[in-house]
Amino acid sequence: MIRRILSKVVASVAVVVAAASATFLAQLAVPGDRATALMNLQTGQDKKWTAQELAPLNAKYGFDDPIVVQYLHYVTGLFRGDLGTSYTQKRPVAEVIGGQLLPSVTLTVAALAVAWLLALGVTLLTVKRGRILSSLGSAWEALTASLPHYWVGVVLLVVFAVQLRVFPIIGGTSAWGTVLPVLTLAIPLAGFLGQVTRDEFTQVLEQPFVTTARTRGMSDLGVRLRHVLRHAVLPAITLSGWALGALISGAVIAENIFGRPGIGQVLVTAVNTRDLPTVSGIVLVVAAVYVVANLLVDLAYAVVDPRLAR
Amino acid sequence: MRKPLAAVALLASGALTACGGTSAVADGGNPTTGGTIIYGHVQEPPCIFGGWIQQAYISRQVLDGLVTLDEDGSVKPWLATQWTVSPDGLKYTFTLKDGVTFTDGTPVDAAAVAWNFDYWENHGGNGTAKVSIDPYYKAATAVDASHVEISLHKPYPPFLTLITQGYFGIQSPTAFKARTEKENCEKPIGSGGFVVKEWKHGEEVVLTKNPDYTSWPATAKHEGPAIVDEVRWKFVADGVSRYASLSTGESHVVYEVPTVNWKDAQSRYQTIRYITPGKPVSFYINTKVGPFTDKLVRQAFAYGADRKSAVEAGFHGVIPYEGNPAVSQATPGYDAEVAKAYAYDPTKAGQLLDQAGWTAKNANGIRTKNGQSLTIKLVYGAGFIFTQEGATVLQVLQEQWKQVGIDVTLVPATQAELWGGKYSDASTFDATPSYWTSPSSAILWIVWRPSTEASPNGSNRSFYNNETLSQTIQRANSEPDTAKANALYGQAQKIIQDDAAGIGLYTQNSTYAIAPNLKDVWLEKSQGEPVFSDAYFTR
Repeated sequence: MIRRILSKVVASVAVVVAAASATFLAQLAVPGDRATALMNLQTGQDKKWTAQELAPLNAKYGFDDPIVVQYLHYVTGLFRGDLGTSYTQKRPVAEVIGGQLLPSVTLTVAALAVAWLLALGVTLLTVKRGRILSSLGSAWEALTASLPHYWVGVVLLVVFAVQLRVFPIIGGTSAWGTVLPVLTLAIPLAGFLGQVTRDEFTQVLEQPFVTTARTRGMSDLGVRLRHVLRHAVLPAITLSGWALGALISGAVIAENIFGRPGIGQVLVTAVNTRDLPTVSGIVLVVAAVYVVANLLVDLAYAVVDPRLAR
Repeated sequence: MRKPLAAVALLASGALTACGGTSAVADGGNPTTGGTIIYGHVQEPPCIFGGWIQQAYISRQVLDGLVTLDEDGSVKPWLATQWTVSPDGLKYTFTLKDGVTFTDGTPVDAAAVAWNFDYWENHGGNGTAKVSIDPYYKAATAVDASHVEISLHKPYPPFLTLITQGYFGIQSPTAFKARTEKENCEKPIGSGGFVVKEWKHGEEVVLTKNPDYTSWPATAKHEGPAIVDEVRWKFVADGVSRYASLSTGESHVVYEVPTVNWKDAQSRYQTIRYITPGKPVSFYINTKVGPFTDKLVRQAFAYGADRKSAVEAGFHGVIPYEGNPAVSQATPGYDAEVAKAYAYDPTKAGQLLDQAGWTAKNANGIRTKNGQSLTIKLVYGAGFIFTQEGATVLQVLQEQWKQVGIDVTLVPATQAELWGGKYSDASTFDATPSYWTSPSSAILWIVWRPSTEASPNGSNRSFYNNETLSQTIQRANSEPDTAKANALYGQAQKIIQDDAAGIGLYTQNSTYAIAPNLKDVWLEKSQGEPVFSDAYFTR
């Protein structure tokens, strides 16, 4: 047992370091020069600089060193827990990310939870409840799953923040200000989760054991909750692992609309400014989130389907 | 993706208009002291000071300059109460205001000012400050505690105007040398009306009033420290929410009002539209490699599309067309006649292309010469130099150029690509639009100075080396008589326009909307940075 856990941990660390390494190397391959990008960022220009002008930056950050040296320097830093220093913000990357991690995690976890509630609610209430209700449910899921985040965000903003004045527009990280960003991400995700759950749910409802349960005199809601749901949520659980990782870096649209800090925004800026240590650091954190999420998915499987625990 | 975005923006603006109950700019009300101004800005800079205008906006709140620019374009005292220029125009001696201290308690003396100039010029402190006064700047020396002398290699009358820009904010050398790079980046120490209290990255910079402020500029609207207690400088990248935040009272001032909302903003708030002086948003035309090495083709390109109508439609009439590729209409020394050249004339464009030998046409109606089709690669900064609206203007132009037989490929470049130098080589593009703010026609020297082996000029993105032009600008730069200098600057603009080394498009603008109960928010003249130290709320 300990060996299994240990090998899992080693594999996880390998995945995370590999992700950061791949990002580091991929960014070196992108056309354009880091020192030039930095000079242009500092001066708001888009020009070509002379070797003489670039020399101090190249020396300071070691841009002229062989790639192998730069890479080894980076990776050995990782094992010492040093993610490097942001070229643009002049702060340690750990600090750049650290300050933005909590708002991102809050937003992501809350969005996932709300998406589940919405998806389960709609599924339980509409699957096989007569043609009208069933089609309404699946239409709602198809519609919301295809909505772009930007559109959802702006509509929520206009209705709930501007017209009804219930929630703030620029809410920062306050609880009240988090509601609209969470809904912006949760609504399309709920549609997505609902769609996969519904298919499964419909099929399971036709299984013989459901009929058996009903003949035992079990109520419809009881059958749905205790027997059918258990089977039907497995695909959605699998998807949740993916969603958790995708949301943490993909929340940038919701963050932009509601003026909210978060890792997504930092990632976009860092990519734009070729801030290589920051980009690699964020990819590392997101990879870690994926690893943890998949671990949780495995655990959730075991809870939902006892056969897998054995 | 583009269409739904526009539709949503319209929907949002409609809804905002419908719910608007606030009265427009109601005057009166009693002035109050204290309070917090919430300001919705767009872009978060990497550091509080630097050579990018995004940094100048915010460093203006914290750092004072030596001199400032007045509405009429004259230079007025700030940290320097007066100054003298030697008869040969080579020495500027500034007398500093008495008793001014930085917020770390050290004095704003001549040594501190001299250190700042040295830092910008010789130690990589600020590339934009440097290039603004290169190669005229020689040295800065402290004559005594309250007199600083700046000497030049050649006479340069625009010098005073140029140092009114936010890039020339004076920092405390003591603090700068004693603290870490991170501290200097996040909390520069100046003598300004506000100090940086906290930077919540990704969210806002909190500026708090400097209670001991004594060094307001001569252009200030009141004497004394800031009237409000704090300014919360928020970063709200999305235009819809930024503008909407004014209507819910969550902000008091917003930057970059979406042009669809401009009319609405004018009816409900105080509005300021600032046309940036300097190089407008105009095309650099690659005169070194490709079809544009032929002047006739460049001119045909200029005639070939209705730039004026495209700009007016694309920006809802809010942003003015600028036909002068060299300097914008807000720049001293602007030549309005030059701006009139190349009005839309597709017939003329066709004739020029015939003359240049691009006579045949392929199946798609694109002109060809010796089997080569006339294809132009137009690279633009998508999402940071060009907004979505700007990109739409380019698409309209692209359609019209196609009618005259020029196949224009639009290449949206990311910030990483453009600033990383992917498109800096002459082989990588044919035309690229860009702007450069500056309060003086001396910007011509920065942009159009010939690029030579000994002294390369990466800013000359047209790769246009014209000795007559170079001489004309240099004469203008050193001409003491303003009228004569402007005539020379006009000649320079004409050379650029006649040769179609650049092609005009529109002016770079800053727009602001301000809540009716917040008074005396104003923009400084040189770059349009907002000034909050005179602002007060009314009740």
